[in-house]
Amino acid sequence: MVTSSLGTQWFLARSDLDSLVQALRADDRRVIGPTLADGAIVYDEITTAGELPAGWTDEQAPGRYRVRPSGDDHVFDYTVGPTSWKRFTFPPLLPITVADREGFTFAQPVPEIPPLAFLGVRACEVAALGIQDQVFLGGPFTDEDYRTRRGGALVVAVQCTRANATCFCSSMGTGPEVHGGHDLLLTEVAEGFVVEAGSARGSAVLERLPARQATHAEMGAAVDGVDACRSQMGEPLPMVGIQERLLAQLDHPRWAEVAERCLECGNCTMSCPTCFCTATVERSDLDGTRSTSERIWDSCFDAGFARVAGGDFRSRSRDRYRQWLTHKFGTWWRQFGSSGCVGCGRCITWCPVEIDVREELAAIAPPLPPAPEPVHVRPAAAAPGAYSVARVEAVHFETADTATLSLTELDPALLAGRPGQFAMVTLPAFSAVPISISRFRPDGIDLTIRAVGPTTTALVNLNHGARIGIRGPLGTSWPIEQAYGRHAVVVAGGVGLPPLRGLVDQLLAERSRFSSVMLFYGARTPADLLFADELKALGERDDISVALTVDRAGPEWPGRVGVVTTLFDQVSCDCARMTAFVVGPERMMQATIQTLIGRGVARDRIFVSMERHMECGIGLCGHCQMGRFFICKDGPVFRLTEIGDTFNREGI
Amino acid sequence: MAPTATHTRPRVAVAKLASCDGCQLTLLDLEDELLDVAERFEIADFPEASSRRSPGPYDVVFVEGAVSTPEQAEQVQELRREARLLVTIGACATAGGIQALRNWADHDAFRAAVYEHPEYVESLARATPVSEHVHVDAELRGCPIDPGQLLELLTAVLLGRRPQIRDEAVCRECKRKGLVCVEVAQGIACLGPVTQSGCGALCPAYGRGCYGCFGPRRPGNAKGWSRALLAQGRPPEEVWRLFAGFTAYAEPFRAVVTELGVAKAAAGPGSPDRAGTA
Repeated sequence: MVTSSLGTQWFLARSDLDSLVQALRADDRRVIGPTLADGAIVYDEITTAGELPAGWTDEQAPGRYRVRPSGDDHVFDYTVGPTSWKRFTFPPLLPITVADREGFTFAQPVPEIPPLAFLGVRACEVAALGIQDQVFLGGPFTDEDYRTRRGGALVVAVQCTRANATCFCSSMGTGPEVHGGHDLLLTEVAEGFVVEAGSARGSAVLERLPARQATHAEMGAAVDGVDACRSQMGEPLPMVGIQERLLAQLDHPRWAEVAERCLECGNCTMSCPTCFCTATVERSDLDGTRSTSERIWDSCFDAGFARVAGGDFRSRSRDRYRQWLTHKFGTWWRQFGSSGCVGCGRCITWCPVEIDVREELAAIAPPLPPAPEPVHVRPAAAAPGAYSVARVEAVHFETADTATLSLTELDPALLAGRPGQFAMVTLPAFSAVPISISRFRPDGIDLTIRAVGPTTTALVNLNHGARIGIRGPLGTSWPIEQAYGRHAVVVAGGVGLPPLRGLVDQLLAERSRFSSVMLFYGARTPADLLFADELKALGERDDISVALTVDRAGPEWPGRVGVVTTLFDQVSCDCARMTAFVVGPERMMQATIQTLIGRGVARDRIFVSMERHMECGIGLCGHCQMGRFFICKDGPVFRLTEIGDTFNREGI
Repeated sequence: MAPTATHTRPRVAVAKLASCDGCQLTLLDLEDELLDVAERFEIADFPEASSRRSPGPYDVVFVEGAVSTPEQAEQVQELRREARLLVTIGACATAGGIQALRNWADHDAFRAAVYEHPEYVESLARATPVSEHVHVDAELRGCPIDPGQLLELLTAVLLGRRPQIRDEAVCRECKRKGLVCVEVAQGIACLGPVTQSGCGALCPAYGRGCYGCFGPRRPGNAKGWSRALLAQGRPPEEVWRLFAGFTAYAEPFRAVVTELGVAKAAAGPGSPDRAGTA
């Protein structure tokens, strides 16, 4: 006989399983357990262990469920059934108010709730009960009916030793091991069950069972069984950051595609062990003297679920599918502190058209490419006089006075630079100038240079094959991760575009990490637009929106005329979820920042690149100071909140 | 609709077009509530129940049956003129019923096959729902209609509110009742996912698939379901037969039936269902 059970593993022979059922019933509990009914394993009341589906197993696949004899005498050799335990803690139909028109009273019915014992609760289902606890009991308003039903239910969990093709608890971190939330825990092995108590209530039951201490072999077999279940599920799905990944894809075309398949029957939400939405319907006698409000399970897939007088907020099927998936895997985190999915796979098995949430998640919110390691950037040549030599591979004139030099045969350190950084560039007998790196290629970089002084004029007049002296990469780079899961907006004025060109490259390379990518660019005249061909090509893509404007133009210009801030008039996205990268003349940046803040963009999600006179580029010459910063080594890229008051202050 | 004055009972008429009378019987079968109904409504004209007939106008006219003959096409106009509220009841009145299957077939061939003297039979080439002829204020679906929904509608009339008829799939009733899905667990073809609830999932409760007598949910993805059923490997005949039932003529079932009918015909004269429509 068991005497001290908590923390110890015991063994209960299969032939003694009925002692558990009877011990549970002895406390006047109704025991709910798996039974074989209507071609499925259904949770229903049992009075003896003989009613459990010993010798049966199940096969589940998208849109398909079958039971068949397992060929042995195991009692729990199947996974989750069509109905979840929520049916017993959160009834599908519950009277909540009885109204009487004559006395004008509203009374809350108090149903009689017998205490239950749940026998055979799987790891994912224990987790689901925990999630509904959070939904119904975790906030300021609680569901007292749920509290009574749930609090009265004793949970006898069973760890799975096999998985179905629809199971993915290992991906959601809920199983196959049970991580607490149980009163008793069973793992089936060859001759019976390894049993553990998880609570004092469970211990009290365990003490009444004809169990003995489990042997090492039995305990090992239990662990092996659960391990086998885990390996049957294969590699866990990449769920890291799923909520942000998903919420970044509200406009993904896949929503419309899945809506073509989805029947909106609501079978997923009904069979989901955590879905909790309800509707209230009124039942009354003919003249409405006495009426009962009944709460019934509802589904966000119903056409009227979000209807108000005058219209429906989610009028299309794609809206409703998106609501369900983004709630379950995304917004649930903010509401209840966890995912709304436990990986039980019911929504996959019981979907008549075989929609598999795992496939939809992979298509809509694919795993992010591994985040690049932050590159610790050191200048290729740190000393103010130590230049490496690079060769000019091509010269491309962007405008009459601005050219892009494509460099090759570079010091490898330059190739490892990041968008936003710059280099000091020189020619023999010319003083060095800071030039932002306008593109990183696998074998070279681009510098886009406007001929404004002696060195820059000499540089743009170089020919193919010429050599230059270069030191870099220098300074800070664009913190692209600050835009992950958000709308990334790039705003350039005039020659501010080159330091942003590499950023746009990178945003597009990691496009799936962002809700949207926008490029706003303003120049003085159409002839001053840099990278005109590239902008045209970008404008034809559907993964970036490009908007251009010029300050003045002749009648041949078909586009917009006006300052760059006017382009924000067409922005319709949620500005609170925007990260902005801004470069241009300081007055243009100031105006842009005011517009952004006015539209609700957070100040700490605005990044700017500053320009100052530089001689050395490494913080030694003292020229580029702006307040407490050396633009060359503390910048040129700054977070707006970092530079604060010094920004745009005259004479700093 | 304004609440009815307390001193007068709403006058109700029940009329029938091409139908089997089963939906009217649902009213008579209310048993427990029938006396209450008779107390609160004046049953002014109900030939199925009483030979005492009182002329219109009526507050509520329940219309059973499809418009199948020229005479019925006129009758339905007259019913509309006499009705403050016209409520269609059942699959025939709301969707055209089983007789609307002839809308895909050769009407003359039908008549010749059934009647020895087809020249004596006046019928329209198409059997159509009442709503194709006159404005309908409310409809109760089903073959036959559900007594609970009928009572709800009568209650709504007395209380002056909209009836609570949920626009949801039969699956929702199955799941609330804890029924195991016959389609997923047994491979039985079922129209439940695209059919409006209201029957209490009667057929699945008896282990058979829903045959859609409550008609398509709106908007409903009938096309998606027929595609999926075909993708399961079911022959087009079987899927056609599923949709070509009591509410076949109601969109979007109608589009599916038309499309599958073409596929079926293309399958060749050996197709077993080709004679089934005649």
